[in-house]
Amino acid sequence: MTRAPDLHADVGEILLTEEQIATRVAELGRRISEDYAGRPVTLVSVLKGSLPFMADLMRAIDLPLRIDLMEVSSYGGGATESSGLVRILKDLSATIEREDVLIVEDIIDTGLTLNYLVRYLRGKNPATLRICTLLDKPARRLVEIPVDYIGFTIPDQFVVGYGLDYGELYRNLRFVGVLRPEVYAGPAPEAEAAGV
Amino acid sequence: MDSSTPFAHASEAEMARILDFYAVRWSYEPETFPILWNLDGDVVESFSPDFYLPDLDLYLEMTTLRQKLVRKKNRKLRRLRELYPGINIKLFYERDFRALMLKYGKVALADGLSGTLGQVAAPYGEPAPTAAIRATDETDTPAEADTGDIPAATVSTATTSAARRRNRRLARAAAGAP
Repeated sequence: MTRAPDLHADVGEILLTEEQIATRVAELGRRISEDYAGRPVTLVSVLKGSLPFMADLMRAIDLPLRIDLMEVSSYGGGATESSGLVRILKDLSATIEREDVLIVEDIIDTGLTLNYLVRYLRGKNPATLRICTLLDKPARRLVEIPVDYIGFTIPDQFVVGYGLDYGELYRNLRFVGVLRPEVYAGPAPEAEAAGV
Repeated sequence: MDSSTPFAHASEAEMARILDFYAVRWSYEPETFPILWNLDGDVVESFSPDFYLPDLDLYLEMTTLRQKLVRKKNRKLRRLRELYPGINIKLFYERDFRALMLKYGKVALADGLSGTLGQVAAPYGEPAPTAAIRATDETDTPAEADTGDIPAATVSTATTSAARRRNRRLARAAAGAP
């Protein structure tokens, strides 16, 4: 029988509090504002996990900026699996040619999705392309990609909250927490799990 | 990629599917590196990483055996790095594979693809097996741990056919078949 998810009880440990996240996002915003001083920047958020980070980060940046959203299919993600190839589920809504572009990610672990995304976006000829991630999990890295802005380097644990999900749940937690192993020992709450 | 690639282990076939999904080019066991010679200069031990990813100039070696059983592979890897310092290679442990499966919502699949019974490899291009067969015994089998002593040209084929024969026996035994 599938266990009922419990938003708070399923989290075994709070890894990053709401306050820690807010402080770090403000710092990242200041650094990005300094680095791009005098230039408008386009933030490209990768759905769905980076939405809360994007919303907070953009307000911490003191620059004229545009935002855009992209979504790519995840391996094992339901119907997309049958095609056997990653797909752009939502593309940019405007050109980024000759723009300064900053990819905003929630977490980088293997780097496979980001590697695909960087190659795709480079093909659109931006003036510059940089990467900002809230969380970096280097222990899981397969593809080494230089990351320009890192919020937190985290240990090799399965984390949820502040946009990160398991089975599409837990995204609305205000903190980042470690999911109890017994939660994912059983079937995922939904068919599409952990698209991080 | 060629769907007839003779993977020795189901986890390798699953990794190939993941790499294909993210458009990362790979080749399977393309190279064998000698790591030990006898006094006559003959190669007595070698190492064939599972994958080479040319765009990343990265070799990837997978092992889904339990941590205590990977000592031999770790030793070979250390030797490889000493002899070929320019090589960029990553060892992908069982815990790494499980984490990857969890990330993709396939944690149950990891049980069926780990260890000895995971060597009943699903042909590349076909869906990976479900977790119906679970690993009951993980041993340091020749197919996973000690392929390096076989000359380079025969590593993948000899290992794969021997492993498949043995794994068919194991699978029949696990299913209670005569």
